[in-house]
Parts: sequence; structure tokens; C-alpha cells
Amino acid sequence: MIRFIANRVAMALLTLFAAAVISFLIVHSMPGTPGENALGTSGDPASIRAFNEKVGWYDPLAVQFIDWVRMLLTGSLGVSYIDNRDLSIEIITRIQVTAYLSLAAIVLTAIIGVVVGVTAAVRGGVVDRILNSFTAFFIAVPPFWFAILLILFFAVFNPLLPASGYIDIVDDPVGWASSLVLPVVALAAHGGAAIARITRSAMLEAVAQEHIRTLRAMGVPRARIVYLHALRFASVQIVSVIGLQFVLTFGGTVTVEQLFQLPGLGTGVQRAIGMHDVPQIQATVMVTTVVVVITMFLTEMATRFLDPKVRTR
Amino acid sequence: MSPAKKSKLPHFLKRPGAVLSLVWLAFIVIGSLTAPLWVPFDFAQQNVGFELLTPNSQFLLGTDELGRDIFSRIMVAGAGTIVGATITVLVAFGIGLPAAFVSAQYGGKVEAFFSRFAEVIFALPGLVMILALVGAIGQEKMEPLMVFFGFLISPAVYRVLLGQIISIRQRLYVDAARLNGLSSIRINLRHILPGIWRTVLVQVALIFVAGIGIQAGLSFLGIGPQEPNPSWGAMILQASNLIYFSPWMMVPPGLILVLTVFAANELADVFGEGEAQNSGVKPFSFKDLKGRRRANLPVVEAAPKAANLLELKHLVVGVEGKHELVTDVSLAIRQGEVLGVVGESGCGKTMTALSVIGLLPPGVKVRSGSILLNGIDIADWNEQELNTVRGSEMAYISQEPMVALDPMFTVSHQLVYPLKRIRGLSKAAAKAEALELLRQVGIVNPERVLKSYPHQLSGGMAQRVAIALALTGNPRLLIADEPTTALDVTIQAEILDLLRALVQQRGMGLVIVTHNLGVVADIADQVAVMYAGQVIEAGPVADVLLNPAHPYTSALLGADPHFGADGVMPDRLASIPGAVPPAWEWTSSCRFAARCNFATEICKQPLQEKAAHQGGAVKCMRFGELTLTTTNHGKN
Repeated sequence: MIRFIANRVAMALLTLFAAAVISFLIVHSMPGTPGENALGTSGDPASIRAFNEKVGWYDPLAVQFIDWVRMLLTGSLGVSYIDNRDLSIEIITRIQVTAYLSLAAIVLTAIIGVVVGVTAAVRGGVVDRILNSFTAFFIAVPPFWFAILLILFFAVFNPLLPASGYIDIVDDPVGWASSLVLPVVALAAHGGAAIARITRSAMLEAVAQEHIRTLRAMGVPRARIVYLHALRFASVQIVSVIGLQFVLTFGGTVTVEQLFQLPGLGTGVQRAIGMHDVPQIQATVMVTTVVVVITMFLTEMATRFLDPKVRTR
Repeated sequence: MSPAKKSKLPHFLKRPGAVLSLVWLAFIVIGSLTAPLWVPFDFAQQNVGFELLTPNSQFLLGTDELGRDIFSRIMVAGAGTIVGATITVLVAFGIGLPAAFVSAQYGGKVEAFFSRFAEVIFALPGLVMILALVGAIGQEKMEPLMVFFGFLISPAVYRVLLGQIISIRQRLYVDAARLNGLSSIRINLRHILPGIWRTVLVQVALIFVAGIGIQAGLSFLGIGPQEPNPSWGAMILQASNLIYFSPWMMVPPGLILVLTVFAANELADVFGEGEAQNSGVKPFSFKDLKGRRRANLPVVEAAPKAANLLELKHLVVGVEGKHELVTDVSLAIRQGEVLGVVGESGCGKTMTALSVIGLLPPGVKVRSGSILLNGIDIADWNEQELNTVRGSEMAYISQEPMVALDPMFTVSHQLVYPLKRIRGLSKAAAKAEALELLRQVGIVNPERVLKSYPHQLSGGMAQRVAIALALTGNPRLLIADEPTTALDVTIQAEILDLLRALVQQRGMGLVIVTHNLGVVADIADQVAVMYAGQVIEAGPVADVLLNPAHPYTSALLGADPHFGADGVMPDRLASIPGAVPPAWEWTSSCRFAARCNFATEICKQPLQEKAAHQGGAVKCMRFGELTLTTTNHGKN
């Protein structure tokens, strides 16, 4: 177990390093200099030069990279080139929105996915075929398009929920919740369909196992076979896919945040791209990579815990 | 199994969804690539006075806020999307495919390196990385982003293909090819590519879908073709801004996107299904667990009511709509008796056993005849009805102990539940009884085994646990299907001893299915020899084995090295030419005649059963004429 964790931590560090290198190189190939981007190309050449000097733009790339990594290691994400915002605060504020959104979405995704997938597998026949067409449809539907449909029906035709905007949870919990309903549903419809398909096939695989035959030969009631033994067997696969889906959902929030004007990481990085704000783009890449790496680690731990063969080794 | 080989193409065409998908994708690809030549309007042509229209004869899908024809714009936009998705596929395969081949070829450190690398790339947050690249190269260019995306997604191709290639390489013919001195490139081209083409097609479709999806997302964020050039995502964005004025506008680009992704996914499904179909047998499904108890069902009583604990009468089992697997089998077993059912593989002995406990494979059904358990016919009982007797009246021990127990639960969990359910014990009492049962089946440290998971047990140990499980409900009938076949030879004898002791102590009936005459001689009181779905000879063990009445039994005995060596029947009987005929070639005359040294014209007449031994029977037309011994047969 300790070896496994050490191995995972090493891989996580490697991934973070790769993300740092790639994003650093990409971002440093941006057109213009930080000074030009911050002060405008028509700005005073001397102050542009001074700005570039200050952020270390004229240092060799390697030196800049090491300085940047060193700063990250102290727990700081740096300051914005554009308006000197402290990016640690900026990112923390924004990641909250994205986290609420994607966590709520993954919970709903998991519920929809498991319920629909198990129902399709267990009921079979017509029910299975109908649910299958639904999941096939929703997998093909991009969340942002479905979100527009939702806005149309629940904000335009029937003004029940806000069409866009975000309310802080501290200011108005009910308003906060209602501002998240449509985006969460839009994300979960897509993700839930994906989980449902995997759950369905995992359940069908489970029921075909030899040990299910033993249970039947012992007269174990159907409900117990389905909801205890088969589901337990399928759980390893289901949980691992839910973990993967969380990563995808976290990425999928970008478009949904844009549509609903939610002040999350996605809208933040988009703004930063528009303004060539190098530190914020890099900070977003690093923070997102950390989220992905942690998610994958937790998922793997969970599946290891769920599988006695691995757990008791 | 089926003699007629199905060709590959019709399989695709059998699924209407697949055909429609193919047609749709062809339309989108060809239509959009040639769009400038045939669409009714120029994509940028603004028609004043025709803004925000819904579909009509002039503008098939309506117009946008500048009066531009939505249909023309969608078709033109499709070209970029198709090209972008194709770039993704090419890059992903350009990296993933060679990497997979190289990893499979060299293995070891090379594979470890590539796999690690793939793992790292796979864990990068794709969309955010792409957005960072947008920051560097600007909003207008989609192609470089798709190249980058292809790189980021290549680990998916690598992983799937690597698994597939390794498994193909492990198959014999590639080894043989290597021995024959084919170069590794030629091995890859000639043997491996044909084996992975289905997987490749599935992955192509899935990555194409991912490419379309990510482009739609990016262009929805304002990246890619800029006004007035159209893209699907940008048209959706445009529609979202005008949702209060023209809700219709979101429909066409969204539906085109959904249908295209749907079609590609459907194709991936079809390719994938073909892949799964190659692997054969129909597995159990949830359908097999269904059934509702009928109200007027007779109860199988605990006290012995009938002379026979179990009696099969003229049992016929067959594949639905096809051939029979068990033909007119009659057997009987009394309390405290051991019945050995013996025969070569494919002779129906396992099907006979499974029909008793109601666990015939999907598609295989009891056609006629009766299965009397303590006098009550259970042949047509459904799953729920059978559950009233399973575990409590009869129990089943399978061939593969390692997979018979649920890998997810401890032995304790698996033993305690039936003790509570069938015997109504409290949890504490059930635990104590479970320990006692483990002791009875000869497990030395039952406390430890009780806490173990199945994978922590050896094969012999697992079989003992499986036997303990079968005993939890105090059944009077035990059905054991080759209970020792999967075990080491030394363990086999121990398990047989255990079964014999249990039958004696508990006075149970035991049906033991085996291909091993030694096992029969060792443990059984009665024996039924099966051949091609029929019981061709039955009677007391001593009589049948010492004075076989059927040439097949006699041949078996001659062929059985047990009466010389270790007691395991060889796959093919050296002393009898030929093999058991396949089930679809079974006739009403003697099915052994083709292999029988004693067959004459009379053997072509319908087969009849004759009384033999003490209360036994034989199905041989020449019974009474032949004098058979175990030693003089088949020395040719």
C-alpha cells in the first residue's frame, strides 16, 4: 500500500511537472511582451521595458521557469500582469464557483447514471431499449446546448429559474441554489448518460459471473442478488468511471459557466486569455491539474478499497 | 457452433440504426465538403427584411439576425468541423498506434516508459491546456488546437490498442510466425492489424466524436472561425444570445451536432458489438432471475414422501428452436445414495444436472419430461418457485470453486446469510454454525477462513467452503458437477472422501457428474453412463463396471487408464475411433453405432431401452447377443 501511494505521488508530481513545463512553454510563445500586453502596445517604451524587467521577461527561459516554480512551491500563484490582482485570492474565489457547480453536477450525474443504468440492465426489454435511446441521445448532446434548451423552458417560457448570473451562497442561499440548478442539470444530463451506459454494461457483466449462479443455486432472493451482489461487483467499475467523469465535468464547466455567466475558473481563464494575462492562465492550468491529479488519486484509492483482491494484498 | 458461417457485411446492415448513421455521416461529410458548390445561399449573404425567420420554402432552416440562410451556414460550417475532427483522429492515431506497436514489440522498459508517459499526458486537464494554447496562438486558428488535442487524447488510443495487440501476440499463431522468421514489421502487418481493425474503427469513431465535441465547445467560446465565417458552436452561441427573440435558431446547429455525434457513436457501438459477438456463449442476464410464484404451487415437503428423493422421467432438454441436448433421460436416486453420471464432454451430463437445480444456460429449456423432487414435479418451476427448494432441499456444487464464491464478500458473509434465511438462525448462532460447518468440511483453522475473501483461499480450500455453503440449508440432495476436476490430484481424493463422509453422516442423496470412471467406482452406488444426450446404460456400480452391457461402457472401461493409471478420461478415446457426434446430428437410432465395433443393420432401427443389471437399463439393439469384457475390446 505504501509503495502504491509513493508510486502515485511520484506520478502526480510528474504530471504536475509536465503541466508546468507545457503550459509555461505555450504561454511564453504568446505574441508580444508582458509589458505590451499590460500597458498596451502604444504605451511608453521605457515603462514597457521596466515592466518586462520587473517580471523577469528578459531572463533566460530556464531561469524564469525556475523562478515561477519556486513561487508556486511557496504556495503563491503570483499576481496578474494586468491589474496586480493577487491570483491566489482570485483563483480561490473562482474555483469555489466551479467546485460547487461540478461537485453538485457529479453527485446528480452519479445518481442519474446509477439509477438509469441499473434499471436498464435489470428491467431489460422495452425499458432497456427506451433508456438506451435516451442515454445515447444525451451522450451526443453537448451540455451547453442542452443548457440553452433548459433556459428556454425554465427561464424564458416559464420564468422559474434565473437564465444567468451567480449569487453568492453567503448572500442568499436560496438564490445561490437556484442559480446553480440549470447549469448542474445541463452538466449532469450528459454525464449521467455516460455513467448509465457503463453502469448498465457493468451490471450485465456482473450478473453473468459464475458466483451469481452459486447464489441462485442457494435460493438467494432476486432483489438481494441484484442490489447487493451484482451491484457490489459492478461498483468497482462504476466508481472508477464516476471519478473519470468528474474530471470531464470539471472541464465541461467552461462552456456552461460562459453561458450562465458564472464567475468560475472557466470564465476567468477566458478573460485572462483575452488580455494575455500570462500568470492567470498558468495559475489556472496548475490548479486544474492539481484537481485532476487529486481526483484520479482518490478514485484509484476508492476502487482499490472496493476490490478486496487489491485491498487485502 | 452453427455450421453456416455468417459474412461480415450483412451484420452492419442488419441494424437499421447503423445504416441510418452511415447515411447521415456520409451526407454530412460529402455535403459539407462540397457545400460551396450547391448550398442555396452564400453563407455570408445578408437578406434584408428576412431576419430571424423560421423554416420556410426559401430558407429551409430559417435565417439568423442578419437574414443569412441557416441551412447554408450549417453546411459550410460542417467542413471545418469534419476537417478538425479528422486532424484529431490522425494525430491521436499517428502517436498512439506506433507507440502501442513499439511497446508491445519491445515490452519491458520501453513499454513502462511509454505507459508512464501516456498516463501523465492523460492526466493533463485537456480543455484548459487547449485554452492556454489559444492564449498563445490567438482565437482564429482551430487546426493547431486540434493537433494539440489529438496529442492530448492519444494515450486513449495507445492504451486500448496496446491491450489488444498484446493479447493477439500472445496467441499461438504469432509465435509460430516469429519462429518462421517473418520480420516483426511483417508480423504486425499480416497478423496483428487484421486482429485489431474492429478496435481501431471503434476508437476512430470515438475520437472523431471527441474532436467534434471539443470543437463545438471551443467555437461556442468564440474560438475558431470568426464572423462572418460560420461554425456550429458559434451558431449555438449566437442563438443563445437571441434566445428571447428567436428560440428556433438554436435548434438547427444543435440538432446537426447531436445527430452527427449520435451517428458516430452508433457506429462505434456496432463495431464494438461485433467485437463482443466473436466471443461466443450467451451469458446469464437479469431476465433469468425473473418469475412470480404461482398461488397453487405444491409444497415440497421435508418428510420423505416418495420412494425416490429425486427422479427424472423422460427428461428432454434442448436449445430453443434448435436441437436437443438431453434426450429422454430417466434417473432415480434414493436418500443416502450416490448416483454417478458419467460420460465424455458434450454428452449432456452437465445439462442434466443443471436442469435439476433450474440453472440451465439462457436459451436452453426443459422441453418435456418431469423432474420429481420428493414426488413433486419441479420441471416447469420458475426462478422464484425454485428458490423455495434451492439451498433448503437441494444444493449445487460447481466445477470451479475459485469463481463459485462471491469475490466481494468474506466467507463469513456468504455462509451466515443462508443460515439466517433458510434455518432462521440469529446472527451469532449463524456465525457459530458457520464455524462448525467449516470444521465439518475439514478446514483446520475455520476462524481465519471465515474472515477470508475467496481469493485468499486455495482451490481445495475454496471447494471445501463451497461444500460448506451447500450444506448451510441442510439439503437432502446434493448435486456436484465435476467437483474435483479443477483441483490437484491429491486434493481430489480428499474432496471425494469428504463428500462420501458427508453423505454417510447426513444421509443425503448425492448426484455426482464426472468424466472420471475412477470417481464413480470410488464413491457411487448407482451409475448412469451417458452418450450423446442419452443414458445408454444404468444400474448398480459394481454390475455396470464389472459387466458392462453396452459396447460404449465397455469401451470406456477399456479406454480408462484408471484401470491402469490415474483415472482421468482422455479427451479422445484412443480405443474408439471417431468422436461424440454434435447435438444437431443426433438421430433416433443408436447414436454410438457409427463408432461401434459391433454395429450391424439392426442398429439403424429406432433405439430401444432394455432392462439390464438389477433394476438398471441399457440402450443397445444388440443387448443379449454380445459378450463384453473390459479387456478384449478395441485393441486395434
